[in-house]
Amino acid sequence: MTSNPRGFLFSIIFIGVAAFMMACGGDDSGGGGNDPLNPNGGSGSNPGAGVDADLRLVGGDPITLDPALAGDEGSATYIVELFGGLVTIDRNLQIVPDLAEAMPQVTTNADGTQTYTFKIRRDALFHDGRPVTAEDVRYSLNRTAKLGQTTSATAEAYLGDIVGARDVTRGRADEVSGLKVVDNSTISITIDSPKAYFLAKLTYPTAFVVDKQQVEANPRNWTRKPNGTGPFKMVEWRLNERIILEANNRYHLGAPTVGRVLFLLAGGSVLTQYENDELDVAGISTLDIERVQSTRDPLNAEYKTGPNLSVSYIGFNTKTPPFDDPKVRQAFAMSIDRDQIARVVLKNMAPVANGIMMPGLPGYNAQSKALAFDPARAKQLLAESKYGSATGLGTVTITEIGGGANAGVATQAILEMWRNNLGVEVSIAQTEAASFFDDLDRGRLQMFDIGWIMDYPDPEDIIDLLFHSTSRQNNTGYSNPQVDSLVTQARTEQDQTKRFQLYQQAEQMIIQDAPWIPLFFGRDHYVVKPNVKGYEPLPIVLPRLRYITVE
Amino acid sequence: MDSTFNYLARRLLWVPAILFFVTFVAFALARFGPGDPVRVAAGNFRDPEAFERIREERGLDDPIHIQYYTYMKGVVTRLDFGDTFRYRDFSVNEVLFPAMWRSMQYNTVALAITVGVGIPLGIFAARRQGTWMDPASISSFLVLQSIPALVMVPFALLFFSLKLGILPASGWPRDCNVVVPGLPPGYECIGVISTEAIIPVLALSLPGIAIWGRFTRAFTVDVMKEDYVRTARSKGLSEYQVMKRHVLRNALLPLSTVIAFSLIGLIEGSFFVETLTGVPGAGRLTFESIGGRDYDMIMAVVIIGSTLYLLTSVAIDILYTIIDPRIRIGARNN
Amino acid sequence: MAREITNVATEIGPGSEYADVEVSSVSPLGLAWRRLLKKKIAMIGLVYILIFYALGSSAPLLTEAGIINHYREQDLEVSQQGPSPEHPFGTDVLGRDLLSRCIWAAQTTVIVTVATLLTGGLIMGVSFGLLSGYVGGWVDTAIMRIGDAFASLPTILMLILINATLKEQVRDAARSVEDFTGIGGIVASGAPDYFLVFGALSIFGWVGIARIIRAQILSLRETEFITAARATGASTKRIVFRHLLPNVSNIIIVSLSLGLAGIAGSEIVLTWFGVGIQPPHPSFGALIFEASGVRTVNAYPHLLIFPGLIVAGLLFGFNLLGDALTDVFTPKAR
Repeated sequence: MTSNPRGFLFSIIFIGVAAFMMACGGDDSGGGGNDPLNPNGGSGSNPGAGVDADLRLVGGDPITLDPALAGDEGSATYIVELFGGLVTIDRNLQIVPDLAEAMPQVTTNADGTQTYTFKIRRDALFHDGRPVTAEDVRYSLNRTAKLGQTTSATAEAYLGDIVGARDVTRGRADEVSGLKVVDNSTISITIDSPKAYFLAKLTYPTAFVVDKQQVEANPRNWTRKPNGTGPFKMVEWRLNERIILEANNRYHLGAPTVGRVLFLLAGGSVLTQYENDELDVAGISTLDIERVQSTRDPLNAEYKTGPNLSVSYIGFNTKTPPFDDPKVRQAFAMSIDRDQIARVVLKNMAPVANGIMMPGLPGYNAQSKALAFDPARAKQLLAESKYGSATGLGTVTITEIGGGANAGVATQAILEMWRNNLGVEVSIAQTEAASFFDDLDRGRLQMFDIGWIMDYPDPEDIIDLLFHSTSRQNNTGYSNPQVDSLVTQARTEQDQTKRFQLYQQAEQMIIQDAPWIPLFFGRDHYVVKPNVKGYEPLPIVLPRLRYITVE
Repeated sequence: MDSTFNYLARRLLWVPAILFFVTFVAFALARFGPGDPVRVAAGNFRDPEAFERIREERGLDDPIHIQYYTYMKGVVTRLDFGDTFRYRDFSVNEVLFPAMWRSMQYNTVALAITVGVGIPLGIFAARRQGTWMDPASISSFLVLQSIPALVMVPFALLFFSLKLGILPASGWPRDCNVVVPGLPPGYECIGVISTEAIIPVLALSLPGIAIWGRFTRAFTVDVMKEDYVRTARSKGLSEYQVMKRHVLRNALLPLSTVIAFSLIGLIEGSFFVETLTGVPGAGRLTFESIGGRDYDMIMAVVIIGSTLYLLTSVAIDILYTIIDPRIRIGARNN
Repeated sequence: MAREITNVATEIGPGSEYADVEVSSVSPLGLAWRRLLKKKIAMIGLVYILIFYALGSSAPLLTEAGIINHYREQDLEVSQQGPSPEHPFGTDVLGRDLLSRCIWAAQTTVIVTVATLLTGGLIMGVSFGLLSGYVGGWVDTAIMRIGDAFASLPTILMLILINATLKEQVRDAARSVEDFTGIGGIVASGAPDYFLVFGALSIFGWVGIARIIRAQILSLRETEFITAARATGASTKRIVFRHLLPNVSNIIIVSLSLGLAGIAGSEIVLTWFGVGIQPPHPSFGALIFEASGVRTVNAYPHLLIFPGLIVAGLLFGFNLLGDALTDVFTPKAR
């Protein structure tokens, strides 16, 4: 305590005012050459004006920027812009060449294996200017496989079809035998049997090319400023604060039309920042959707929407009571009025799922019908089941990932519907992600509420991966020999139309057996500033920043 | 004094023992609780054999005392708090310490405001005891203290950021206004000097003003009644001199206690304020780590927090005995 | 009758202060009560608290009587409407009546605060404090060091970890109790969650009160009065119950009333993190969590205003009461 409290107070006020003024004044003075955002100085708070403006987006810190290790969407968003592989997906969801000069030559060998031969573009360069060679590709794929031994959870799933890959991921070998460097710019990859979805898997980050010299020189820190082959280079990654990407003007598929992209990681209300002109793109939630969709609102002109390849669902554990009886599962499915939930709770932001596969996915069946809302039939089915009635089911719990105080709103609504339409009291268990996946793996959950996001645009990634009885990703224990055989046939079916038909047949069976209650398909809603051109809703994560222009 | 010295020495010696207990319990809880960070990082993707391999490689399958020993060895010898699962490309130190630095900036400014406004307000109220201003100020203090941050922050953001648009909606400046050259990356930004910091800092400081105000007021009222104060006044000492000589001495003990424990709070962040306003601080980081079962991050926070607390606690005890010998700590009851 | 006024330094936390101790034979509680009644503001606080607790406790009865809705009752067609005659506080996103949910949430707060108070505060805190202060020696050391250990752990962090980790075990234990005793519905009522919450809060909450009591006992122990009692051969039990306890009762009351605010706040925090009371049981943490985003407050402010005001009112009441009680137990007349 000082002897002059008044003086003390004044000095505090003075410091406060001074600080405040510094803060306000600081916005316009900018940096000199030290501020990466303003190499030419000038106003930092209004980059919307003038040439070569930045694109300002909101984002989260990636879990990792190492393409061999990344398994989540968040990391993938940056990785697809910094790195590249032999092939990529374009905005029409077609597989197109990236580092490769053209689509590969495919030859089927005598022993049943299939070989893809790629020729690498001459003008494919790393960010530091070094040309990409076949050896770089081989090194990168091999590295991913080796990491599958220790730290990468995705390596085996995406590269496992390559001959010899499983030997490496399981620690039995050091080199993937199916990778062969034919010459400096030609590489051949041999897979164990003709699989129609293999090229799709090659578009995933596990097959991206990394710089061997950089990785080996700096194994701990190289990801902070990766030397990739993608359309953008990393300028700065300030953890929890921001990531700045800069255009790679020598990019072989065409230089980006935007100079820099700024990702803000610190947080805060996104739409409010958008309205204050601090961001160029913002997602819309149920709170603002009605306003934004109304033609009288100024934001309506900036509103964009599009499907994304994801589906939310309720899954059952088909191996334990009470959901081992399909009639019980069907009863539960048919006592939910999904249309009402979509209308009232979700404000029509997400379409009701009519099946497993979603619109936009090649193979989507618009004629498919999910189990209808029919409470009377539902009660009947419950009575016909081997449990006979609601009380016969015992305790029923639905589990979901919840970090906050309340279960998902849709889930609570569904619970009430089960109570009113079926007479079953279901309790909610909310766990954090860690416990949830653990319990899911160990088959401890009766019923769970989650979603699935497609990794690549092929039905194999959902119908096969999630419903084949021996698939690791099968989280319901579902086993139907007919579905198994349809799906296995589809793996090697070369005629795309026939292939999709097989998946669609399997889908109908799955809907009837109801190991899932498909709820809603994903849909993106956001607003984009009018001076930002080329930012379109996209169904999955793919490289897209280079098509954007900020005027 | 001898027995007190012995007592204090023994207190200090207890610190490592308590720390061991504390860290081991936290360690056990974190590692043996349900859930698995390897699994979380993989998300929807399942491959139990790959997870096994990863767990083995990271030593997560070793018996717990070995895991504990390995971990603590790193901490004690190299101040290495391990690797984090959430930010694979960085170590815990690289993620946590800058976050603590950021929280510290905000908390320090908030503390300065709290003390700088709270204490004078408390004295002001005390001197006006008996007039209407006294209960009025008590009530305003209490109102401030009673509104949870959870409620105050959204409204503040609503008015200043959304409706009026005069304050930014995020809590940390995107273009750092004050950059201190020479500090390592991650630390060089003094982000608290910005318009973005205004709402978070206010949210952090307002409840404290009430607490300090009430405390100061009560304390001052008490002391002002003492005989020796009246005597001093009758002797002709000025108000300020009275304050300084008598009030200060008696205030030292409780004051230092409060300050000491507030200082610990500086590096922890307030989770609510940080999440609601968007400040990338230690509070937010800590609680995200729990959800993601980021063991090493959790452990680092526990160790740092506990150590600071224990040392402060002992320091306060020392102060107690020096200043007020009437408290004979450690004497046995016979 | 010896009247002694001693200044006692207590462990200082926000709001507590030097308390004058009257060692006398006139019941201090009776005097205090009369003084309290005279303070009008405190009375308002007390009345509010009583109304809150009354409504909270009677939530099930009110629902049976049809006056309020059950907290799960939803009507999707009236979702998110503002205040109206049928729904004085408006409805939430599932069309549930907010007023009803607030009253049910009050029940949660009532259960948790009362349980924690009794267990953590009274039983654990006071006993340990008495024990520690009076017996001294290794008992004192043991209790204080254990207290140190618990107090040094970052509270919220540990509460969350413990809750997340032990939730399943507690539920399983409750289920086996159900099977064993044949009493159904234990798990469904949410009892295991409540148990975990107030259990955890108690384990971390007792330290503060214990320290305060201990410090008080330490100085009381050396007063002439107690020494005389001992000299005349009074048993320990008699000393503790007839002489020590009454003289710390005022501090107990003050600390507890101030502690109530903290407990209520902690419960809200825990539920906010999803480790407290599980949905669909409402609690104020849940209600506020649903409503605290900036965009939510912009679109449906009633969802935050009503629960926010109620909680603020409760905390305000606790603080008023605590403050008034503190004043009351400090004699002004000289």
